[in-house]
Amino acid sequence: MSEADRRITDDLLRPLLSTSARFWVLVVFLGAIVATGLGTWVYQIYHGFGMTGIRWPIFWAFYVTNFVFWIGISHAGTLISAILRLVNARWRRPVTRCAEAITVFALMIGAMFPIIHLGRPWLFFWLVPYPNQRGIWPNFRSPLVWDFFAITAYLTGSVLFLFLPMIPDLALVRDRTTGWRHRCYGVFALGWRGTTTQWNRLEAAMEIMAIAILPVAVSVHTIVSFDFSMAPVPMWHSTIFGPYFVAGAIFSGIAALIIAMAFLRTFLHLEEYLHPVHFQNLGKLLLMMSLLWAYFVFAERLTVWYGNEPSEMAVFRVTQRGAFAPLYWTMVVCNFVIPFPILALKKTRTIAGCVVASACVLVGMWLERFLIIVPSLGHKYLPYSWGVYRPRPVEIIITISTFAAMSLLYVLFAKLVPIISVWELKVGSHPAHRPQTVEERDSEQALFVARTES
Amino acid sequence: MAHRWGMAVDLDRCTGCEACVTACRAENNIPTVGAAQAATGRAINWIRVERYWEGEFPDARLTFRPVLCQQCDAAPCEPVCPTYASHHTEEGLNAQVYNRCIGTRYCANACPYNVRFFNFFNPQWDKPLQLQLNPDVSVREVGVMEKCTFCVQRISAAETQARADGKPIKDGDLKTACAQSCPATALVFGDLDDPDSAVSRLSRSPRGSQLLGDLGTKPKITYLARQS
Amino acid sequence: MSAAYALFSDPESAQAAVDRLRAAGVADREITVISSEPFEAHEFGSRDKATWMFRIAGAGGAVGLAFAYWLTRMTEQAWPLPTGGMPIVATWPNLIIMFELTMLFAVLSTVGTLLVTARIPRRRPALYDPAVSDGRILVGLENPTMPLDALERAFAARPGQVKTLP
Repeated sequence: MSEADRRITDDLLRPLLSTSARFWVLVVFLGAIVATGLGTWVYQIYHGFGMTGIRWPIFWAFYVTNFVFWIGISHAGTLISAILRLVNARWRRPVTRCAEAITVFALMIGAMFPIIHLGRPWLFFWLVPYPNQRGIWPNFRSPLVWDFFAITAYLTGSVLFLFLPMIPDLALVRDRTTGWRHRCYGVFALGWRGTTTQWNRLEAAMEIMAIAILPVAVSVHTIVSFDFSMAPVPMWHSTIFGPYFVAGAIFSGIAALIIAMAFLRTFLHLEEYLHPVHFQNLGKLLLMMSLLWAYFVFAERLTVWYGNEPSEMAVFRVTQRGAFAPLYWTMVVCNFVIPFPILALKKTRTIAGCVVASACVLVGMWLERFLIIVPSLGHKYLPYSWGVYRPRPVEIIITISTFAAMSLLYVLFAKLVPIISVWELKVGSHPAHRPQTVEERDSEQALFVARTES
Repeated sequence: MAHRWGMAVDLDRCTGCEACVTACRAENNIPTVGAAQAATGRAINWIRVERYWEGEFPDARLTFRPVLCQQCDAAPCEPVCPTYASHHTEEGLNAQVYNRCIGTRYCANACPYNVRFFNFFNPQWDKPLQLQLNPDVSVREVGVMEKCTFCVQRISAAETQARADGKPIKDGDLKTACAQSCPATALVFGDLDDPDSAVSRLSRSPRGSQLLGDLGTKPKITYLARQS
Repeated sequence: MSAAYALFSDPESAQAAVDRLRAAGVADREITVISSEPFEAHEFGSRDKATWMFRIAGAGGAVGLAFAYWLTRMTEQAWPLPTGGMPIVATWPNLIIMFELTMLFAVLSTVGTLLVTARIPRRRPALYDPAVSDGRILVGLENPTMPLDALERAFAARPGQVKTLP
């Protein structure tokens, strides 16, 4: 077609078709960390859950923190892809697949943690409602069973939401490659041709998926928050948890997306497609979420402080002034104090500024999850049973390996599939013509016939 | 003949001797976790005696409160278990089914009394201590939650015997290990549905109150306040 | 021949070709237009837009809702275990399960409808040319009844520009 279109295709397919040595070094490095994490998990299962730092009465710590953190990160794709798709925001086009990929991989990693944190993980499948000779079904009153259903629905929806618009691009790669690549991509392209019927059905399906995936995403993190708010634990049993967690999820998700996009832009040379304005727009969203996060934290803390209920105040004091104060104030600095000026001033809302702010937000949001879980469990109603938690090496190694796993999955994805949706970008680069009238078509036809006959 | 098992704990009589703790360990095959693990907070005590100081030496006062599973009628640990390992029986007990437990530990977080315990490792008894194990009680494997059952093995045995004999269980015949071993008779176990039982009378005492009763857990243990 | 088609370099000429085919008496559903991106603004891209997909998604959601209602109710009553003073059939938590399964079934029925109506994965060989990936728009007929020279006139193509498949 036009020269611009050809350039788009070449640029976006280049990472698939040519591989540098740097890629292999990165894959081996990340793979080694992931393998270490997996080995550590096997070690934990073999030697017993006591290898972790979990103890009476703090029975949830790093693993549940990671669970909530990664499920939170998975809200990136939904917000960008689904919401911006529904409001027809033009600038979303280069960003949607990056975001949707984050969602799918973060969900997969997050969904591992309910299994990793089990005392008897080999029995995790008992949460699935299937007829069995024990005659027992899962307890639908348990928020953990709600987690299972919500994450299943969200993971299925996200994978499909990622895969469906990928089909035309897989067909593109199929046509541009030969040999084993051609065959593999041919299988995954499902024989896509691009007839008008297929395009219309695909667009209809994407619209339905975008509408459907939004309430599911909101419900998933709300249900994750219900893991805490359904228990009578001081500062857990709060009605604010649903919206608070969803806002926090979107907050951390945008931060993860900004960082992923910045890396892609640099290492895959996508400067033509991921412009500073994309980062500025996402930076504005991040700023808004930072303010929203601060609002929720203030509302919750003010209510607790004003209510002055003894068991809640014990947890409040230990986070604001006690043993957890360094972590608490680091969280506030990382989530609000640093990002706010960087993102609010246009001069600092550059790509580098957004990345710095996002990195701080990721640290702050991880700490936020930790600070919701551990101080409350360590300071419940009976002071005799208060306790102190210290993470052990297995938990730290597994946590680090999930970051490596996320990076590895993402790097492999960017190698196998165009990370920017080629066909959506092309659609966006042709401004939509208004529909032609019959007269215009006839006169154009006459012109065309004349042109070809000459 | 349905029962509703409950307990009354007289804080005036409790001396903090912890005979109940020892008896419970012996009766219910509770593992000792070793000094290192206990120091990091992994010790399992189905019943524990909480000790509080009031005032300063030499006018310090000690209060003891035995805390065990309150067998709450509105137990927060029950709805949160994904596999029904924690559920309510018809006799008002909070049952812990070890075979169904997959170790999510949600029940332990939800319990406001912190009376639920987790097996961090497979239990071990150095020889010849394994000869002391109670054959009526299972040994729990790693990854499983456990807690006070009101000596359900004794309850079942007594009920079976009563059915066989055709005679009801007499109040005072059936005792949990802790109630049986208390030298001060501070722990009284019995049937709350029997208005004449000792535990029913003590529960109606004006000294009686419930631990964290305002949380709405409806515990079935009544604590009788110290008089002095 | 099993198919005849021409490749066009821009949507306007493709539209013109489609119109000429229609003028030559070819039925709309026999004309195949294949492109590497959707051209919704043009008339040829917006034909065959009506779809039952939204209604099928809604129906799928309704099936999911009914299934979840039955699943939660049936299992809770099959072995009624009281927990926490809550009722045996716990409505509030069941609503959550019902919501999730409604959405899941709606999503799955949408994707199923897509696969069926878009006829993917493709089993039988069908009209296609990899030049489409370069940005060409393919306008063609499968099993055409017109002779080749009439097709060439309809496509307003130079000799040899109309390709045929045996």
